[in-house]
Amino acid sequence: MPVNIIVCIKQIIDPEIPASQFKIDPGTKRQVQGSHSLVISAYDQNAIEVAVQLKEKHGGKVTAVSVGGASAATALKSALSMGADEAILVDDPAIVASDQQGIAHVLATATQKVGVFDLILTGCVSGDWGDRAVPAFMAEELGIGCVGFVSRIEAKDGQVVLRRVVEDGYELIEAKTPVLVSIISDETNTPRYPKLKDIMAAGKKTIPVWKAADLGVDSERIGAAAARALITDVYLPVKESKCEMIEGDTPQEQAVKLAARLRELKLI
Amino acid sequence: MNPSREIYWNIPGHIFLYILFFPFLVVFLYGMYQQVRRLLMGQSAAVLDHIWDRLKGFAEHAVLQRRIARDTISGLLHLSISWGFVILFIATCLVALQDYFGIPTLYGNFYLYFMSLTVDLFGLAAIVGVGIALVRRYGAKPDRLLKPRLADSYGLLLALFLVILLTGFLIEGLRIAATNDPWGRWSPGGWLSSLPFVGIGRSQLATLHRLLWWFHAIVAFAFIAYLPYSISLHMLAAPANILLRSRERSGVLQPIDLEKAERFGASTIGQYTWKHLLDLEACTECGRCQQVCPAWTTGKPLTPKGVIIDLRDHLQLVAEGGDSRKMVGDVISHDVLWACTTCGACHQECPVFIEPIPKIVEMRRHLVMEEADFPETMQQALRSLEERGHPFRGTSATRTDWAKGLGVKTVASNGRPDVLYWVGCAAAFDERNQKVAGALAKLLQRAGVNFSILGEEERCTGDPARRIGNEYLFQMLAGQNITTLNTYGIKKIVTSCPHCFNTIRNEYPKLGGTYEVVHHTELLADLAQQGRLHPQRPMHGIATFHDPCYLGRHNGVYDSPRRLLGAIPGLQVKEMDRCRERGFCCGAGGGLMWSEEKIGKRVSWERTEEALALQPQVLASACPFCLIMFEDAIKVKGANETTKPLDVAEVIAQSVS
Repeated sequence: MPVNIIVCIKQIIDPEIPASQFKIDPGTKRQVQGSHSLVISAYDQNAIEVAVQLKEKHGGKVTAVSVGGASAATALKSALSMGADEAILVDDPAIVASDQQGIAHVLATATQKVGVFDLILTGCVSGDWGDRAVPAFMAEELGIGCVGFVSRIEAKDGQVVLRRVVEDGYELIEAKTPVLVSIISDETNTPRYPKLKDIMAAGKKTIPVWKAADLGVDSERIGAAAARALITDVYLPVKESKCEMIEGDTPQEQAVKLAARLRELKLI
Repeated sequence: MNPSREIYWNIPGHIFLYILFFPFLVVFLYGMYQQVRRLLMGQSAAVLDHIWDRLKGFAEHAVLQRRIARDTISGLLHLSISWGFVILFIATCLVALQDYFGIPTLYGNFYLYFMSLTVDLFGLAAIVGVGIALVRRYGAKPDRLLKPRLADSYGLLLALFLVILLTGFLIEGLRIAATNDPWGRWSPGGWLSSLPFVGIGRSQLATLHRLLWWFHAIVAFAFIAYLPYSISLHMLAAPANILLRSRERSGVLQPIDLEKAERFGASTIGQYTWKHLLDLEACTECGRCQQVCPAWTTGKPLTPKGVIIDLRDHLQLVAEGGDSRKMVGDVISHDVLWACTTCGACHQECPVFIEPIPKIVEMRRHLVMEEADFPETMQQALRSLEERGHPFRGTSATRTDWAKGLGVKTVASNGRPDVLYWVGCAAAFDERNQKVAGALAKLLQRAGVNFSILGEEERCTGDPARRIGNEYLFQMLAGQNITTLNTYGIKKIVTSCPHCFNTIRNEYPKLGGTYEVVHHTELLADLAQQGRLHPQRPMHGIATFHDPCYLGRHNGVYDSPRRLLGAIPGLQVKEMDRCRERGFCCGAGGGLMWSEEKIGKRVSWERTEEALALQPQVLASACPFCLIMFEDAIKVKGANETTKPLDVAEVIAQSVS
C-alpha cells in the first residue's frame, strides 16, 4: 500500500560554526547569517531519509515543504536530490517573524493544499533555536494525531508502527494514518548522500512558490503582531573561567589541599 | 682466407621452414587479433602527442630499461634475456638477408665479431639470465612475485627460452664439430658445446644436427605462437605501453566533462580507455608496485599489482563472453578501493608505466557519484565541503583565526600582493597546523615578502573531493576558487599544503586557472639563498625529513626542504631508507585523512617507526596532513617527549629568530 508523505523542513544557519562567530542582531533578536552557509536542520534531514525509505519500500509520493526565504529553495533542492518527488516553498514576507503557532498554521494550510497524505514528518527539534513545538501545533491545526521523537516507522494497512525513543529504551506505538510524526536521528535514518544524477535532476525541477494568500492562511494568525510568544532577549552565555593554583611542597600535600578545596566548593 | 661459414649447412630443405611456420603464424595472428579486439572494448584515448618526447622515453625505458634496472638482479637478468633474444633474432634475420639479398652477413670480420662472438655472448648471457630467473621465481620466491599469486605462465616461457637457447648452442656445436670449423672458437658458446662431439663420426653428427635444427625451429615458432596467449605478451604490450605512457604528472587526475558525460566513473571494464586496458595487458606481474604500496605493506587488501591483474582477468572473461561478477564490488572490493592513499609509489616504481591510481579513482567516482556508496566518514567530509567549503567538521576556528595579531592582510583589504599565501583548510582550521601558518607568515614578513591571504574567500581546493571521487564537487569548488583568484588578478601563489600545491598548480589550469605556484619550502629556500632569511641560531640533534607524496613524488620537490634543514647550524640531517622518490606515505592522502583505518597496521605508525629508528629530535615534514598523522603516531609510540614532529617552516623559524 503506497504511503504519501509530506516532510516539513527548515533551512537554518550552519549550527556548526564556531561559537565566536555566533552573532545576534540586537534589533530582531535573530542570528546574523554573515558569511555562514545555510543548511537543512539536522533532524529534518533524518525525516527526509525516513520518508524516502518508506516510499522506496511501499511506493507513494514524498513532498517536501519549507517555509522560508528564496534561499530555502536550496534546501528543497537537496531534499529532491535525496529522493523527494516534489518540493514546495512557502515564501511570503507576511510570514516572517511568526511564532511557532503562526508557522504551524502556515504549514498546516500548506499541507492541506498539497492534498492527500498519510504521514507528515518533521524533525523533532529545530537545529537553530531548539524548537520542538511546531509539530504538535501543526497536528492540532490539522486535527490529526501526533507522535514525537520517533526513530523508526513501519507502515502496514492504514496504520503505522512507530518506535519512539524514551529514556532507557523505546516504546512501540501503533497509530492510524494520517498522523504527524517528528523524527529523531537513528542509525537507520542517516541522511543519504545523493547520487549525482539525482542532484542534477533536482536542479532541473521547478519549485512552486506559494504565498500566504494562496493557502487561505488566516492573516490574523501570522507575522510578528500575531505572535503569542515574544522573544525579549537573546544573548550569548558568557563563560568565565578562573584559575586557582593549589600550593604545596609535595604532590601529596597538593592533593590533600586540592581535595579539601573541592569539598569546600561542594564539587565533591 | 675470408672467415665464413656455409649458410644452411646440412639443411637442404630449409625452404620448408616457411611452410612449417605458417600454422604457427596463424595462431599468433589470431591471438593478436583477440588482444586488439579486447583493447578496442575500451573508450578512445589520445596518446600520440609529443612524439619526440615519447621516443626518448621509449629509448630510456624500453630499450635501456632504466626502471627495470633499478633492481640490480632482476634488472640484469631481464636485460640479458631480453637483449639476448633481440640480438639472436637480429642475427637470424641477417642470415635471411644473405640468403635472399646476397648481402654477405656471414663473411669477414662482421661474421667473426658480430655473427659469431657477439651473438654467442648474448646467447650465453640469456642462458645465465634464464637460470637466475628460474632460481628467483621458483627458488628464492620473493614476496613481490609470490603474492597475491604467482604468475602462472612464466614457467613455460622460461622453459621455452632455455630449450631454444640450449638447442641453438648444440646445433652450433654440432656444426663446428662436424665441419671442423676453423673459426669455431669465435663462437664461444658453440665451441664449448662442440667439445663433447669431438671424435664422433661426421654423418652421425649431421643427422643429429638436422634433427635438432628442425626441433629448434619448431620450439622457436611455438614460442611465437604462444606469445599472445600468455604473460609473454608483455614483450609487445610493455614497450607499447612505455611509448604511449601518460605524460601527466602522477598526481594529476583527468577532468570529466560533467555537462556531456553520460556516466561518472567506471563501473564496467569497457568504460576505461583502451590505453587503460593496454596497461592491464602490459603488466608483467613483477610486483614492484606492491612492494612499495603503503596499503599492502601495512596489511590492507589493496595491492596495485592485484588490482591490475584482477582487472585483466576480468577483461579477458568479459571479452570471452562474460563475467557474472560486477567490476566494482566483486572483482575489486570496496576495501581495496578505499585503501589507496594515491601516494603514487606504484606509478613511480612501475617499469612499464602502468597507472593504478586513475583506475582506482574511476571506480571511486562510480561509487561516489553514481551509487553514493562510500564510507560514512568520507561522506561527512564531503558534506562539510559542500556546506562550508572545508572538510574540518566541528572546528572551533575561522579561516583567519590563526593570523590574529600577526598583521596578515587579506587581498580584499590590501590589494593585489606579489604573492598570495594560499593557507589551505588544514592550516586554517586544524589547531596544530595553525602554528605552521603563523610561523610561515612571520618568516615571510621577516624576509620582506609582500603577501596577502584570501581569508574568508578561500575555499577548499577540492583535492579531497576529487580523490575521493566526487568530481562534481571538485569542479564546483575549483570553479569558485578560480573565479576568486582571477578576479583579484593573482599571478603567484605560495601554498603550505602540498595537496593544494598540486591541485592549483597541475589541475586548475585545465579549468581556467593558471598561476605560478610554489610550495613554501621552495619559496623559503629561495629567500634563504637570496640572503633574506638567515637560519643562524644553532639547533642540536638529529632531524629527518619525510617527503610528502604530493610534494616529492608527484611534483619532484625534494631538494628545497633539505636545503633549508641543511642550512641550520648544528642540525644533523639524516635520511630514512625510504626517502625522496621512494618516500613512504603518511597514510592521509587520497581523501584517507577522512577514513577510519580499520584493516592492518596504520600507515602512519609504519612510517613513524621508520623515522624513530633514527632517534631524531625533529621529524620534519612539509604537509599539514603528514603533520597531523605524525603528531598522533608519535604519541602512540610514546616518543612525544623525545621527537617533535615539525613543519620545515617551524624548524626554520626556530633557527631564524
